[in-house]
Amino acid sequence: MTSTPTRFAACAALSAALVLSACGTKGGGSGSSGPDAEGVRTGSGVTATDITLGVMTDKTGVFKNLGLGITQGNELWAKDINAAGGVCGRQVRLETVDHGYKADTAKTLYPQIEPKVAGFVQMLGSPVVAALKQNLLSDKAVAAPASWSSELLDNPYVMIVGTTYDVEMIDGLSYLQEKNLIADGDTIGHIYIDGEYGQNGLRGSKHYAGKHNLTVKEVKITSTDTDLTNIVTGLKGDGVKAILLTTSPPQTGSVAAVNKALGLNVPLLGNNPVFDPALLKSPAASALDKLHIVASSVPFSADLPKAKDVAAKYKAAYREPANGGVPYGYAVGEVWGTVLKKACENKDLTRDGIAKALKETTSAGTENLVAALDFSKPGAPATRQVYVAQPDPGAEGGVRYVKPLFEAAEARDYVAPHQK
Amino acid sequence: MSDVVAEKAAPPKIPSPARETGRGRWVRRLAWVALLLVLAALPLYLEAAWLKAGQYVMIGGVGAIGLTMLVGQAGQLSLAHAFFLLVGATGYTVLSGPADDERVFGLGLDPGLALVGAVLTAALLGLAFAPVAGRLRGIYLGVASLSLVFLGLYLGQSAEALTGGTSTGRTPAAFELFGFPFSNGGPEIELLGVPFRQAERTWYLFLVLTAVAFLLARGAVRGRVGRSWRAVRDNEAAATAMGVDVTRAKAGAFAVSSAYAGLAGVMTALWFDILKPDESEYGTYGINVSIAFLAMVIIGGLGSIPGALVGALIVHGLPQALALYSADLGLFGETGGSALTPALISSFVYGAAIVLVVLFEPGGLAAIGRRITSRGLSRKPPEEDPS
Repeated sequence: MTSTPTRFAACAALSAALVLSACGTKGGGSGSSGPDAEGVRTGSGVTATDITLGVMTDKTGVFKNLGLGITQGNELWAKDINAAGGVCGRQVRLETVDHGYKADTAKTLYPQIEPKVAGFVQMLGSPVVAALKQNLLSDKAVAAPASWSSELLDNPYVMIVGTTYDVEMIDGLSYLQEKNLIADGDTIGHIYIDGEYGQNGLRGSKHYAGKHNLTVKEVKITSTDTDLTNIVTGLKGDGVKAILLTTSPPQTGSVAAVNKALGLNVPLLGNNPVFDPALLKSPAASALDKLHIVASSVPFSADLPKAKDVAAKYKAAYREPANGGVPYGYAVGEVWGTVLKKACENKDLTRDGIAKALKETTSAGTENLVAALDFSKPGAPATRQVYVAQPDPGAEGGVRYVKPLFEAAEARDYVAPHQK
Repeated sequence: MSDVVAEKAAPPKIPSPARETGRGRWVRRLAWVALLLVLAALPLYLEAAWLKAGQYVMIGGVGAIGLTMLVGQAGQLSLAHAFFLLVGATGYTVLSGPADDERVFGLGLDPGLALVGAVLTAALLGLAFAPVAGRLRGIYLGVASLSLVFLGLYLGQSAEALTGGTSTGRTPAAFELFGFPFSNGGPEIELLGVPFRQAERTWYLFLVLTAVAFLLARGAVRGRVGRSWRAVRDNEAAATAMGVDVTRAKAGAFAVSSAYAGLAGVMTALWFDILKPDESEYGTYGINVSIAFLAMVIIGGLGSIPGALVGALIVHGLPQALALYSADLGLFGETGGSALTPALISSFVYGAAIVLVVLFEPGGLAAIGRRITSRGLSRKPPEEDPS
């Protein structure tokens, strides 16, 4: 009685073990090294000629358009800064991985990319950022998430370029009040997607409501809801004077359409992600006139010299239709450039040195692609200034500014959840 | 014994254990030991990213072993696996969480105890669902169990003191056994020039958990418990006539399967370093996860324990491996490749695998493996052990 296959399996397994033990182990070779000729200390991702920054993006999942835009913005920035001589005598390189907006894939890809980079110029997706929080802490890697929740700021290595959803809401409400669209004592509705994004926006509206004696009717939805007719009908019954939105663009379209169809016609106020130029081609296009969008970064075709410059370079380099991710990705690059220059002045390009340089960065300028940023206060948003914009099919990029960068008094006093 | 009972729309027939000849058994055991040795040696050679991917496969393996016992051996379709994963993850995080946190509730137990407690909690909740499982069968049970996933979605979002809420989630305590941390902290260990840090330590922890889960499941399936499950699956009346307590067998299968899912949940929380309830029905504990586990057990062969492991390797391992390779080799295009992606390819592969298995080999990969080995054991009838 012989069992050839079983024996074969056993042999194969044993020989595999032998082969493995014959090869060398993976040990040896740690990242950090001593100071170079100019006395600059270097660490992971930094060599004598290069600085490598990581890009963890979504090229294939639900946010692939945004991810692509931001990545292209990052690439344009790297090209520009390298043409200008690089940072600290080193060229900037980007190491890009695609996690497809899946936290589990990101968790596996992270150990692969982490030893090669000095920090992350892009980390897209709130589930991804949440899953990698402990990794960033233990590896001391600075990362710029493409998520603007102030709840992320308990991690000192998180660099949010722009303001946070809660502050956007506070500034936006003060704008509505300034225009006499709402008054103290009014009832307002807030429709939000449950999660990091929506709850952070709600935090802002609650803060403002507390200061101005407004009653907030909260409506929690999930990102997969599409028809919000009954929710808006309910808010009409509550007699709301305005509806706040921390939702996805299709949901915004639904609310705007119902707002008009029911004859409610109250102003709508939304965070940056609620609007997508594609809405202007949707059936809800004619109902978008009541929508106000609050954001701290500009859209692709903003009427700013720097934005026009980036747009022109983009059109020369890429064929895909652009979105707001491009100027944002470029702006994050600019902020990274400022931080790296600071670290270079401190002669410390290690991870610790970069984190220290980030804390010393009090006015990272991006030529108004985003408001000036101050990273010196742990837990506080780097800026509290926003633009207010309204959809406009006539304008390139689909929105027109109704108020330039400003900061409301209520936003200035607001204490973010992790602010010290 | 169970096989003599007339088959009635039962899942593919899994033969009862047969006695092996002494020699075949020894060869087989040696092969398992060799496999275990190779797995134990891998942290010396594989980079942390691959270890991470391997750990993810082990999470899938533990969960799939639980589900294959329930669906394949006891014949109860369940789509509630993701819910019990959430229970296990939450249970561990709450039991081991610091007791003095003002935002979230914690009991501050030892992580080892917390792991056991979380598994027990999942088992008890599985038992609580047993009255429903006892009354329904087939697709009706599948749909009823699916409701648990939605219950989990709601509870995960609303019980913020336990789960930390969808906004931030909460960090589970790092696993520790007798004071030895499975993280980067604690004593510096180096073997053959390889520093043993979180990835390597967690690999061994997961390997041990998977091995224990595997051996317990094999024991259950080969023993009296497994025979009663199969009897109930094939014909409840006949099982009763043979002295099997049908209600008890069904409840037991559900509880055991839930406990396995609970353990997989604890491993999930440790693997992600965070417990974060899902924002919609697709996520870490969503219906996509329940379906992925079902895919594992179908591909592996319903009721087969090693098959469940192979199924986990395909369903959980393939997307991870492709993602890692695509980063290594620059596959799948540069920016904005919208055609072939690792996630898409692996969905196609495991979708196709399910279709092929159902069409051509309802016994799954396990049946194929069994046929290959039985051809080797020539003069023996193709009756092999079920596990």
